[in-house]
Amino acid sequence: MADSPSPAPKADILVIDDMPENLNLLAAMLMQQGYKVRSVTKGTTGLRGAQVAPPDLILLDINMPEMNGREVCQRLKADARTRDIPVIFISALGDVLDKVNAFAVGGVDYISKPFQVEEVLARIENHLTLRRLQRQLQAQNAQLQQEMLERQQAEEKFSKAFRLSPNPIAIATHSEGRLLDVNPSFLTMGGYPFDEVIGRTVDELGLFRSGEAMVPFSMQGWQSLVASAMPNQEAEFLTRSGSLKTILFSLEPIELVGMTCVLLMINDITERKRLENEFISLVSHELRTPLTSLMGSLDLLASGQLGHLTEQGQRVLQIATTNTDRLNRLVDDILDLERMRSGKIEIRRVPCQVSDLLQQAIDAMQSMADQAEISLILQAPDTSFDPTIEADPDRLLQMIINLLSNAIKFSSSGGRVWVRKQIVAPSQFVERGDGSAIASDGEIPGSVLSSVQSFSSDAPGLLIGVEDEGRGIPADMVQRIFERFQQVDALDSRRKGGTGLGLAICRNIVEQHGGRIWVESELGQGSRFWVWLPQRGETQMNTDGHR
Amino acid sequence: MSRLVLLVDDEADVRAIAQLGLEIGAGWRVLIATSGQEAIELAALHQPDVILLDWMMPGMDGRETVRQLKNNIDTQKIPVILMTAKVQQSDQGRFEGLDVAAFFAKPFRPLKLADQIREALGWEE
Repeated sequence: MADSPSPAPKADILVIDDMPENLNLLAAMLMQQGYKVRSVTKGTTGLRGAQVAPPDLILLDINMPEMNGREVCQRLKADARTRDIPVIFISALGDVLDKVNAFAVGGVDYISKPFQVEEVLARIENHLTLRRLQRQLQAQNAQLQQEMLERQQAEEKFSKAFRLSPNPIAIATHSEGRLLDVNPSFLTMGGYPFDEVIGRTVDELGLFRSGEAMVPFSMQGWQSLVASAMPNQEAEFLTRSGSLKTILFSLEPIELVGMTCVLLMINDITERKRLENEFISLVSHELRTPLTSLMGSLDLLASGQLGHLTEQGQRVLQIATTNTDRLNRLVDDILDLERMRSGKIEIRRVPCQVSDLLQQAIDAMQSMADQAEISLILQAPDTSFDPTIEADPDRLLQMIINLLSNAIKFSSSGGRVWVRKQIVAPSQFVERGDGSAIASDGEIPGSVLSSVQSFSSDAPGLLIGVEDEGRGIPADMVQRIFERFQQVDALDSRRKGGTGLGLAICRNIVEQHGGRIWVESELGQGSRFWVWLPQRGETQMNTDGHR
Repeated sequence: MSRLVLLVDDEADVRAIAQLGLEIGAGWRVLIATSGQEAIELAALHQPDVILLDWMMPGMDGRETVRQLKNNIDTQKIPVILMTAKVQQSDQGRFEGLDVAAFFAKPFRPLKLADQIREALGWEE
């Protein structure tokens, strides 16, 4: 640190003595040892020299005319620039009083005239070393203090942000979600008193419900919440009074007093959502009336019954019609979705033949597929079994058609789209032992089955898969694809004529049936959309012995 | 055979489109009402073959208009067809207990209106 490398002098030593012969002797002795030496004969000159360029050590004669050594030393000690420089006094042999005084004014040591070379060098070396060590300590100490200050400031910053944040924040243990601390905003949003939540787990309090954006799986307690650590996930938060708030939450791991904890940061978007939905509803209704006139007018014009258009005129009319149709679909979809989300549309469950539904969907999409030169392939793992499911057939059809329509839109001509169905039963998850389970012919990958297991709690259900060889979905979009207006490419809606709402509608339909929808995709390879629906009312699965 | 249709809608443009469609498409005559109240009066007076009624109107809405038409001895036999937005139709229970012959979706195709009415009411002509 303060030490100099070998070619430079070992240390800078200032020698103050009124006797030139002493000075010369000391200077020669020290320079021979590799020290840099400055010699002065007057105390005042020495003080100035020490202030301008502080030496590493000062040798100071006690008895000098004008300003004596004690006074020089006192002045050195009074000045911050020179205070820490070790001062070794030079005294006549046996002058005990001088020595005592010397220590009293701040000297660290003394050497006696006549000089013993070894003694002088040893003492100098000793004090230089001490000084060096002292400097190191000082530097370390300063660094430590700085670090402590910084830590303190960081802690204060965090604690201030925690306490004053308008966003609810909680600190919970990573392992079981036990709440260690929550901020005032958290208490305000939830309506809980501090004592009621601290020390209890998130699950005990039932704070979180799966929100509509929880894709693909709903939360099943704290563990899955931690496992699915995506920033800004949507969920519902149960307040003390029993009302539900729509929230976005993020989890961030932190170490706290030796424990792994998570910082749970919440954004209450209840009001934003409400306004959004209200706005959507209002706008859609206001759009519908002019659309009705617009579409009717175009239809009348196109009929030719109001006079004939030129070929160019007809082309323009066709453009107007196509775009008006699209606008109409968009308004329909928005309203449809809004009504589903707000629960204004209820599903009506009746027993449905799944094969029928799939066939109907394929029939409905066949002409679109033909136009795009895509083959639709219905894969039934076991033709002898035709599962029934309790569901709203119109809604399921709408969902399958939406998925097929997407698969066709995002495939290139010549591509294939597969539709498959399979009943998954509890025993499949364990062992296929006694054959009580149903059709599993390896068509559906194990990863999908284990996904199903994670949310189905072993209830029997129907798995529908729609697979394409299209362009796939980038990984960062896979989670968002089921949200409104989350097309992979903003140009898609224009090129593909979609509304950006198809998958959001699908998700709503699936969730209203208590099911799950998710996607596996590889960019450039294709996508596999999976829908799992609980089978509900006990079908003939076990009793009829399908296998 | 030329029919007389009473068209009830508070939107002038929608009325114009529907009227054109029925007149040009089928050569039917069209009577216009701009509110539920007016519809009840015109229906009693002119005895149209069918009433095409908008669901969402300010003042007396579709439901109340149907109720009054069906409670009036002069108009209760005239078939009523409700015109509603597609999405509104998907609301369960909204139209329960309504004595109407059919629901037509908006937006509609003006030149197909006459055919739709024929089909809904079983008119063979």
